[in-house]
Amino acid sequence: MKKEKTGFIGGIKAEFSTMALVLIPICAGINLVGGSIAAALKLPLFFDLIGTVLAAALAGPWVAAMVGLLTNVFLALVSNPIYLPYALVGIIVGLVTGYMIKAGFFKNVWKMIITSLVATAISVVVASSITVFVFGGATGATGSSIITAGLVATMGSIWQGVLTSALINNLIDRGIAFIIAYMVLKKIPKSFVSKYQQPSLE
Amino acid sequence: MDSILKVEGLSFKYSNSKEYAIRDISFEAKQGEILCVVGANGSGKSTICNALVGLIPHYIDGEREGTVKIFNENTAGLKMGELVTKIGLVFQNPFNQLSYTTSTVEQELAYGLGNIGVPRDEMVLRIQKIAKRMRIDKFLHKNPLELSGGQVQRVALGSSIVMDPDIIVLDECTSQLDPMGSEEIFDIIKDLNQDGKTIILVDHDMEKVARIADRVMVLHEGELAAIDTTKNIFGNLAMENYAIAVPDFTQIGLSLQDNHLYNGEPIMNEQEAIAAAKKVLYS
Amino acid sequence: MAKKSGTFYEPLDSPIERLDPITKFVAIFALGLSSVVFPSVFIGYVILLGLFFVAYKAKILKKFAKFIIGFAIPIMVMLFFIQGFYNPDNVTIIADLGFAQLGLEGILKMLNIVGSLLVFLGSFYITTKTTDTGRMVASFQRVGITGKAGYLILATLNVIPQMQKKVSVIQEAQNSRGLETSGSLKTRLKAIVPLIGPLIMGSLIDVQERGMTLEVRGFGMKGIKQTNFVQAEEAPVDKKIKRLFLIYFLLIIVASIIIRFNLI
Repeated sequence: MKKEKTGFIGGIKAEFSTMALVLIPICAGINLVGGSIAAALKLPLFFDLIGTVLAAALAGPWVAAMVGLLTNVFLALVSNPIYLPYALVGIIVGLVTGYMIKAGFFKNVWKMIITSLVATAISVVVASSITVFVFGGATGATGSSIITAGLVATMGSIWQGVLTSALINNLIDRGIAFIIAYMVLKKIPKSFVSKYQQPSLE
Repeated sequence: MDSILKVEGLSFKYSNSKEYAIRDISFEAKQGEILCVVGANGSGKSTICNALVGLIPHYIDGEREGTVKIFNENTAGLKMGELVTKIGLVFQNPFNQLSYTTSTVEQELAYGLGNIGVPRDEMVLRIQKIAKRMRIDKFLHKNPLELSGGQVQRVALGSSIVMDPDIIVLDECTSQLDPMGSEEIFDIIKDLNQDGKTIILVDHDMEKVARIADRVMVLHEGELAAIDTTKNIFGNLAMENYAIAVPDFTQIGLSLQDNHLYNGEPIMNEQEAIAAAKKVLYS
Repeated sequence: MAKKSGTFYEPLDSPIERLDPITKFVAIFALGLSSVVFPSVFIGYVILLGLFFVAYKAKILKKFAKFIIGFAIPIMVMLFFIQGFYNPDNVTIIADLGFAQLGLEGILKMLNIVGSLLVFLGSFYITTKTTDTGRMVASFQRVGITGKAGYLILATLNVIPQMQKKVSVIQEAQNSRGLETSGSLKTRLKAIVPLIGPLIMGSLIDVQERGMTLEVRGFGMKGIKQTNFVQAEEAPVDKKIKRLFLIYFLLIIVASIIIRFNLI
């Protein structure tokens, strides 16, 4: 079907086809079950990004942002409200990943790695900002809070400590999530990918 | 009987495919009949179903030619929201036919009605009526995700019927169910047909098709191979050419015929088989 | 991380449960924002006392207390350390441990942050535990969110638990087949894709079919006022409570301005 170009807002609206809308909750689910699979393999990882990357590649940045948002909304409702502020991380990572993929930064392994590094860097900064501004430095809810506190003490600065802790937490985890999403996407038949909006996986 | 559905020169090519999935299909369905569609995998059965209900071209991209008319109205000019009250669809996987927005069967049945703006009072009336018919009135307040496949499929059928369409398209809707669940769905389909609904049924169980169909349409590699009364199709057509198994009862009759023991009508079900057997034995 | 199904709400027939969900969201914002803007470390804790009463009325006092204590104590300990010793604004030293100095400003900041968080998260917690999501979305739709947004919220809450169930079934099957969960890090990493790949492929087929389902249920219908089976009307008491919260919030704003700028 022919798509008309209707500017920025029109483009966002066009992303949200019925199929994209159905994709969003399922990708939020993929974000969360990645963690269960990691746990079954006794890997200390969360992979809570695979679904977001898939959505970004299949349907675009704003759909991916929605996946990031709803993943955290689900956790806030079912598990703990402290996940709610971190929805911003999910949204921004979705947007960044989506726009980078749109710009062609997913076509080969190296470009994918660049995208994953950029997304990780941004998510570290945003997550740290939330930890510092909303929670004052640590949420107290996870084991990483203790690492954060330790780093704040050794580095003597709240910002440095929180950023370093977030970096340690995110770099490996997000990197592997990107690699998995990349490998799975390469295995999906082209006919499947083309059913969504964007032709971005040439 | 009047024609309720008229398909003319229908062809469709999926946007990601080089070949047409269906080519130049023309047929009519009469009001109140059960028309079964049979054919090997990939013969275009599902494509026709999706084109009848409007998913082609509204949801599935590709090149479509030809027309589909319901009550002489060309459906190309209708939106999905307008089509859903004329023609309904039930397909294979029961759990993919839930809206995933509701926590009770009752709400699930109401979901489509809400989308087309049916007032709540009328929703309640319609749901009560449909629930009995679908034999789901006992679990109206249960969560649909906790039901068995057969039960969910009845909810799916109910969600379609509640929109009050004149035609119901069933695309292999029993193939993922156990025999009991499948039998129950077929009973309900017969009931619905007696209420005057026109049924378009895709199925690969030829025993069932022979028992239930008024007419049968055979598809082969995207083209219409034959459309005729059930007896004519199973009795006279060389079905093996289309990779379709003839029902066992019919097969027995044909074998008897080959051995010059039987020369009556083609046999479609157990009653006819018994009658024929009696005739053979006592003659 | 949440592994259980989305059973975060169970009907208990309390006055709090009967309130219109919008009323509860108005309360979250009025109380939460007031604890942020009002220049006192104590307001959050006063509101928290009130929230305990609301939780009692909602018949979830025990769960609520558990949540609040489980949240407040670790974060207070962490922030006592982080803010107390390392807040750059620390001037008034109240204890000197040699390697670090405990500052009053940091402690006040900690109390302030934790107070506001307790109000926001506590009132949000009560809302989620006393609100049926179907009704919540129905009332959101009443005040103007679209059917699509409503779909996203409800579908997320229904789809994820179902997927989690599916994964645990896959896991059991894989474990009984002797999946390599004990090998080296490399072999375990290699096992991820075979595990998650089929799940994703299956999910994408689900996406296509569930989209079809929505379409044949009239999901894309435009130009018609949608109706909802779930009833979500606003009672007179809801209107009153909303008005009270609005007045309360305005008073807090005025009071905060007066206090902060020493207008009296």
